[in-house]
Amino acid sequence: MENIKRVSPVVFKARPVKTEIRDNWAVTLEYDAEGPGPYLIDLSHRTRWDVQDGNLDEITPWEVAIPETPGKSIMEKGFLINRMNRTQASVWHLTGEQPDAPDGPAYTETTDATMFVALIGRKTYAIAEKLTSLDLANPAQKTPFLLQGPIAHVPCQVVTLAQSGEHCDILFTCSRGYAQSMVGAILEAGEEFGLRPAGEAAFSKI
Amino acid sequence: MALTITCPICGKRNGYEFRFGGEEKGPRPAAHGLNPETWCDYVHNNNCVAGVQKEWWSHRDGCGSWFTIFRNTLTNLEADEPEERYEQV
Repeated sequence: MENIKRVSPVVFKARPVKTEIRDNWAVTLEYDAEGPGPYLIDLSHRTRWDVQDGNLDEITPWEVAIPETPGKSIMEKGFLINRMNRTQASVWHLTGEQPDAPDGPAYTETTDATMFVALIGRKTYAIAEKLTSLDLANPAQKTPFLLQGPIAHVPCQVVTLAQSGEHCDILFTCSRGYAQSMVGAILEAGEEFGLRPAGEAAFSKI
Repeated sequence: MALTITCPICGKRNGYEFRFGGEEKGPRPAAHGLNPETWCDYVHNNNCVAGVQKEWWSHRDGCGSWFTIFRNTLTNLEADEPEERYEQV
């Protein structure tokens, strides 16, 4: 199994200038002419899990407690953990070295079944408003928080990482098959705001 | 589309995000002594209330949960639970 190649469902029409092979993924760290932002960043290579159990409160992925309330998220030890409903949570590994796969029947790895992108930088709230009716910058919510609903009519899990004024940094996943259509729709919506594809390095800065 | 539905997990959302699951008909008839007429009545026959009725909905594009709401079929708007659902005869 040394020659396997994992391919992101997201392809940008931009020239990569810095790439690396990581866990059999070709990860683009930087694209040519990224500009000052806002950025759309492909994070599909970042490992993700679905956690399902009747007693979710007793499960602590990588010793991080899952939030009790659906819609709440927690960022700890490089993991973003989102409570989806009474029995289900999602775990997204965002920073640091690739962790060991967790033990137990509650975990299902979803990395290769979904796409995962970040929309960050200035004017992102205006871009998101063209794509969804979800309230991604709800001041009543404390970041990070999870919304489950459609973006560009595609069911997604969306997490607002940060929000201030005109911008909100968001992450979202949806089924892998929608990836290219989604990316096309997002870049088209963001064209008037200067939205450009960016490499993982731009995400690491936040 | 004026219909908005309040999901118990995600809150108030556009009606297009949901899948209709039919009228709430109460508990499934007991298997013991069940005859075809009773089963057919439970499965296929609806009350089709012209007014407020209790219905099942699923948040298809969101959290996926199944839940019941009250909807006014005359206005196609979500409604509060009626205080007296059935008139006393």
